[in-house]
Amino acid sequence: MPNTVFDVCIVGSGAGGGTLAAHLAQRGVQVAVVEGGPPVNTRTDFNTHALPFNFANRHIPTMRAGKYGMASERARGVGGKTMLWNAVALRFSHRDFKGYTIDGAGADWPLDYADMAPYYDRIEREVGVCGNRDGLEDLPDGIYMDAPPLKSGDLLLQRGAKELGIRIIQTRKATLTRATATRPACHYCGNCMGGCDVAAKYNSVDAHMAPAMKTGKLAIFPNSVVREVVVSKENRATGVRFIHRETGAEGEIRARCVAVACACIQSVGLLLMSESSLYPQGLANSSGQLGRNFIPHFNSGVEGFLTELIGRAVVNDEGYIDHAYLPSYMHAHKRDYARSFGVQIYTGIRRTTGWAREVPGFGADYKQRVKQRFPAYASFQCFGEMIPNAQSFIQLDKTEKDEFGLHKVKAIAVQQENERKIYDAMNKASVDILLKAGGEVLSVSNFEKPIFNHQLGGCRMGSDPRTSVLNSYCRSHDVPNLYVVDGSVFPSSSEKNPTLTIMALAARAADNIGDRLQKGEMA
Amino acid sequence: MTSRREALKIIGAVGVTCAFPFSANELYGQHVHEPMQAEPQDAEPGAPFVPRFFTPAQLLVVSRLTDLIIPPTDTPGAAAAGVPQYIDLVVNEDPKLQTTFREGLESLDKSGQSRFGGGDFLQLTEAQQVEILTSLNEAAAQKKPEGDANFFHAIKGLTADGYYTSRVGLLQELGYNGDAVLAAFPVFTIPEH
Repeated sequence: MPNTVFDVCIVGSGAGGGTLAAHLAQRGVQVAVVEGGPPVNTRTDFNTHALPFNFANRHIPTMRAGKYGMASERARGVGGKTMLWNAVALRFSHRDFKGYTIDGAGADWPLDYADMAPYYDRIEREVGVCGNRDGLEDLPDGIYMDAPPLKSGDLLLQRGAKELGIRIIQTRKATLTRATATRPACHYCGNCMGGCDVAAKYNSVDAHMAPAMKTGKLAIFPNSVVREVVVSKENRATGVRFIHRETGAEGEIRARCVAVACACIQSVGLLLMSESSLYPQGLANSSGQLGRNFIPHFNSGVEGFLTELIGRAVVNDEGYIDHAYLPSYMHAHKRDYARSFGVQIYTGIRRTTGWAREVPGFGADYKQRVKQRFPAYASFQCFGEMIPNAQSFIQLDKTEKDEFGLHKVKAIAVQQENERKIYDAMNKASVDILLKAGGEVLSVSNFEKPIFNHQLGGCRMGSDPRTSVLNSYCRSHDVPNLYVVDGSVFPSSSEKNPTLTIMALAARAADNIGDRLQKGEMA
Repeated sequence: MTSRREALKIIGAVGVTCAFPFSANELYGQHVHEPMQAEPQDAEPGAPFVPRFFTPAQLLVVSRLTDLIIPPTDTPGAAAAGVPQYIDLVVNEDPKLQTTFREGLESLDKSGQSRFGGGDFLQLTEAQQVEILTSLNEAAAQKKPEGDANFFHAIKGLTADGYYTSRVGLLQELGYNGDAVLAAFPVFTIPEH
């Protein structure tokens, strides 16, 4: 093994790294996946079926006692954030890829829907996505299993929205609604974000890497925190250096091609840390664009209750959390901002009832009000697209180091005027729909307290090497055998959840890497 | 001596790859759910609760307040559901809340004395206690509640959090019946008018 040179070394094992690894291994490429965290056993490591009172502080921890901590913020562990996601799986549309051409803000992608469609097809077939074919211009249809039915609250909101000319659909998730040969169907226990204990919800281990292990071409190095991508004097990536998470020992893995896929902020951080005489401002950063154009989604939220359901008998409709989705529709409406928003809609009972503290009053009346509203709860989680700006970036924190002696990476996102307009519009749409559905509003989120989700951008792809870091295959403009495959590559974020697109990009990058290996271009 | 670069390579050689703890052919649908290993939680029934932050006198007032906020009805109230214990745990870990509670509890006794000329809060009649909370509740509805109103806002929020995440609050009061294993998600309809 000392002389092993892998074909491809992939840093990270989530949606990007896991998909890339599986696709490469399946076509016979020798792959090493280097992951900072330990292996995760979905069946025994998560608190999937926990309830708040199982814990003194009433917070359900993601991992069982004694397991290495994993949080959706930074998920070190084999499988990465796919272990802890909500599984919403939406295709981006032509409008998402060509936003700049359409409304003049942000940047276009160097590819279009037609380039991505075959890869979306392939991923949906592989992993299993449920949904309906809704025929929407802004949200292209895919290849779906049946989606679980809408809840009563969803139906009421759907009816209210329809009166406003707005369409609410069944959401689309990478969660199985019927069993496949290796994974069972969802059992609707309602704690998806805590980690699915049967892998009905997609994760990159059970759906991608475990089957690929059978090829004998895939080696996974867990607990290996990569500190540097090594580049030769000849401008070729030759491998990575890592620190063992538990022992602190240092190691190196050599490969003909390196792909960085350790989630947006960490990927950008790793490239910035991998500076050399050839790349004094960070690896593959001759454009100076690395770390710029950080464009996470920004969230707003509206909560309330559906009057028709207040006081109704409690039924178990926790389901797989949000069953309904409000797709972007604003292109058909006059508006004074660029881009758009989408809304995840949750209704019904839930094991955590943080909203109860906001219900007014106290005493027996209050207690009664909460009880009656328990089955009537409705929540709108809105996602807006952020336009890149100079105040939003990822950079190394040169003053602080982490437990491995590596620079901490900081990411700063600042909302500007366009974001404020979207924020107000998406909250207004949610309130309008709730009221039209005969609901009452409990709370509306505040723009001054920003919440971001889905870290995206910072290492964008583009057709011009002077203004982008990667080409449309996620390959560095600077270093011909270096790839970056995760949310950092997005030149614009869309308002849609990014994971399905990350997986499709990984499948596309895998084709490109495999072809170039065959042609001997990675020698 | 080996060079640093060579040393790195050698260490790299002992890196251990992982095998998955199950085979890729396994049909997970046959998997039986493991029962949750519950963490230590509610004190043993009958065991005396020893507060970490509150004095015994403060704990009595906190218990009374939680029961005024969520009283016993046909289901147990906040105190019986263990909410004071939960609040003690949270406040003990939050210096800002400690100040809020210390000052709020002190002020509560004073406002009882000045308003009703009576003794401490616990010596007031229920109607008097409710009257005080009613005015605090109104003041707490303001955008940025301060002083006593902020204290009420805090204890009301914590009481709601603690109660509705308790076994009594979630299961008995609210009737939560989720976390089940369903073969299919049921078809719902909109209720008739």
